[in-house]
Amino acid sequence: MALRPDAPHDRPHTVPPTLTPPSGAVVIPPAQVRRSLRSTDLDQVVMTTSLEKIFKMATANSMWPFGFGLACCAMEMIAMISSARYDVARFGSEVVRATPRQSDLMIVSGRVAHKMAEPIRQLYEQMLEPKYVMAMGACSSTGGMFSNYSILQGVDKIVPVDVYVPGCPPRPEAVVEGLMVLQERIKSGIPSASINQETQS
Amino acid sequence: MAVTEPRIWPTQKVLQPTPSELYPSSDNPDLLEINLGPNHPSTHGVLRVVTTLDGEIVVGLKCEVGYVHTGIEKNIEQKTYWKAIPYVPRMDYLSFFSGETAFCMATEKALELEVPRRAEWIRVLFQELARLHSHLVFLGTGSVDLGGIALLFYCFRARDEVLDLFEMVCGARMHPRYCQVGGVADDLPKGFEAICRKFIPFMRNQLDQYDELIGANPIWLGRTKGVGVLSPEFAMQMGLTGPNLRASGVPYDLRSANGGYGAYRELDYTPVVEQGGDVHARFRVRIEEMRASVDLIEKVLDGMPGGPIISDDRKVVLPPRHELHTSMESLIHHFKLVTEGFTVPAGEVYAPIESARGEFGFHLIADGGPKPWRVRLRSPSLVLLQSLAALCEGVYLADLIAILASIDPVLGDVDR
Amino acid sequence: MQVNSPTWGEPDNGAGDRLGDEFGAGVIIRRVEHRGELTLDIPVDRLLDVCGFLRDHEGYDLLSDVTAVDYLGYQGEVAGYWGGGSDGRDINHYSHSGKAAVPEAAGPKRFAVSTTLCKVMTVTDGNHRRLRIRVWLDDNESISTLISVYPSADFHEREAFDLMGITFEGHPNLRRILMPDDWGGHPQRKDYPIGGEPVQFSDEV
Repeated sequence: MALRPDAPHDRPHTVPPTLTPPSGAVVIPPAQVRRSLRSTDLDQVVMTTSLEKIFKMATANSMWPFGFGLACCAMEMIAMISSARYDVARFGSEVVRATPRQSDLMIVSGRVAHKMAEPIRQLYEQMLEPKYVMAMGACSSTGGMFSNYSILQGVDKIVPVDVYVPGCPPRPEAVVEGLMVLQERIKSGIPSASINQETQS
Repeated sequence: MAVTEPRIWPTQKVLQPTPSELYPSSDNPDLLEINLGPNHPSTHGVLRVVTTLDGEIVVGLKCEVGYVHTGIEKNIEQKTYWKAIPYVPRMDYLSFFSGETAFCMATEKALELEVPRRAEWIRVLFQELARLHSHLVFLGTGSVDLGGIALLFYCFRARDEVLDLFEMVCGARMHPRYCQVGGVADDLPKGFEAICRKFIPFMRNQLDQYDELIGANPIWLGRTKGVGVLSPEFAMQMGLTGPNLRASGVPYDLRSANGGYGAYRELDYTPVVEQGGDVHARFRVRIEEMRASVDLIEKVLDGMPGGPIISDDRKVVLPPRHELHTSMESLIHHFKLVTEGFTVPAGEVYAPIESARGEFGFHLIADGGPKPWRVRLRSPSLVLLQSLAALCEGVYLADLIAILASIDPVLGDVDR
Repeated sequence: MQVNSPTWGEPDNGAGDRLGDEFGAGVIIRRVEHRGELTLDIPVDRLLDVCGFLRDHEGYDLLSDVTAVDYLGYQGEVAGYWGGGSDGRDINHYSHSGKAAVPEAAGPKRFAVSTTLCKVMTVTDGNHRRLRIRVWLDDNESISTLISVYPSADFHEREAFDLMGITFEGHPNLRRILMPDDWGGHPQRKDYPIGGEPVQFSDEV
């Protein structure tokens, strides 16, 4: 917050003299607003915490999704990301990267066919730690309504999943809640599910 | 039906030997074979396009599909007709209500079941809303492919309003499972017409805004005019229907062909036709179709008839709840319908409708039992992808993206 | 006129008669009219001739659909499905549920390949028509490809090969399209199980 160079630093805000209330009116002065923080107010400007908490807060509040839209759920995912109503930007996740190497969160939105399983695994391995996976929708959580030869019955058979969001397709608010649950997990210290994966290249 | 304006089309030869694959004709050792997809921000789903490039020019192209093959057709054979209805909108997941309507229409044709007038009008209303939804997503993602990301936000904002209307009527934003064999599942709720009427001027305003954004934009025009020209004869040979065909001047639209199906017969719809045949014309056709859809929605609201919203044939349609308390036959019908399902006489039917992508129909083979014997979706997008190779011969890679965006395939439809 | 799907038009028996005049009486084995739709059964070896005639002389310029159907078990007393038996839900076990009436045989052999053709640009509005041409095959028989007459049959035939195992002679690129390249079997056949996973704990009482 840049201050004007000639503004007094510690004069509280008052009603300008031109706006005189009519006589007999009860004047309630506005709240005292401090216009600036003085550098000697240490309790106002310094916060003590641990390094892990800072990292977790940073991780949780800046999860960059990997735009991995497979089928119908992808439409709701795009709605969550690019619609003012659901606005995932307020969670720091508006930066949807097209490449896995620059993203944190792989939202598997849609049904996973066996043919697609290998590319999904490849893309997962190309993501950098810490990485998280959200299984969005019923099809990627458990195979959904498609219990047949062609659909993988849950993407957690090939990648470790952190958050499952049910729905067919889940509302964008549900996906946002899934994101918030993931944020809570991260902030509370639960490591990502990729911790159990042995091989990384 | 001839092209309305005499226009000299470039001769487009069907590729030999395979119509859907382009092979490089030169032995240049510097040709680069790259793989677009299956995960790519602009392939409209999981499409894999294996291209061979000579510098930036596409000299070879192959489409690989099947990355979201869901086996829906085989799944439907295991379910009764009612239980099969939730599967069908998940094929073409952008104009989802069209899928439900097509399946219900095929079943009704096999049953020779008459749908009440109000139900037909409600189906038209929601088919047009589904078309709006599909074209909005097309326009938004298409403009992202061409680089103008701003339009995505406008289109998805309008899309939310469309989905609000679906949610109002049946509770789910996408895949409403609102169409039922014999009519629709439930009547329009009380506040629906008022909110729909407020939506109409909003949508018209939005369409004007889209025209302002891209109508005269020199970058847009430069990237889309003259690119990917599709002649009508080539379109017929490759089996294209829908907006891609109408962008080449052929006024063939199943909503008006031979009078039209369902309530379109009474609504007197004129197809939207453009004469360019290029990417620009395909975008313009869809924007004008959105305008026509809004006009149709207004007409439907103005002329909506009263009456029942579902057929009263108790062998196929559930009786109303209040009858179950008093009538034994209704109770038995309800029980049989819910446990076993209705049976459809044996035979083969094909009832196509006009979805946002083209001719969309279910080839339904019934065997006299409660479950369909075979259901095949005539997918418009599968046919579109065949023509991608021929359209992209000798264009830049960026033009390939533009052409793919303009023909608008949906991979759920292709792979089923 | 079909109200439900008006582009079928009146059943085009005239085209059937002219086919008979052109190719002899044996070219049409059977005509089936169901719900206003005309299906002509023709022998496998005449398919290309018939489709060429329909495209060039009758004006059927759009190939709408090529559908392969497996009629194994069609006339069974019960409608078989892969759902589970009375002793628990085992989805890989064939089970039964009743049919109202046993249908008459759809055709002489196991597989049917139907081609739906439409008149689009060769007629004025109001005269659109559709026609279905059907051939019957057994498991080891093959059918000639329609690509030389209708190039849009390309992906449809590949899909029929992939999912039903029907070989199209002369197709330049007959390989799997929807299933992975190394998949075994043809999933949409009636003797291929639906697959998937059984629901947990469904075998316990």
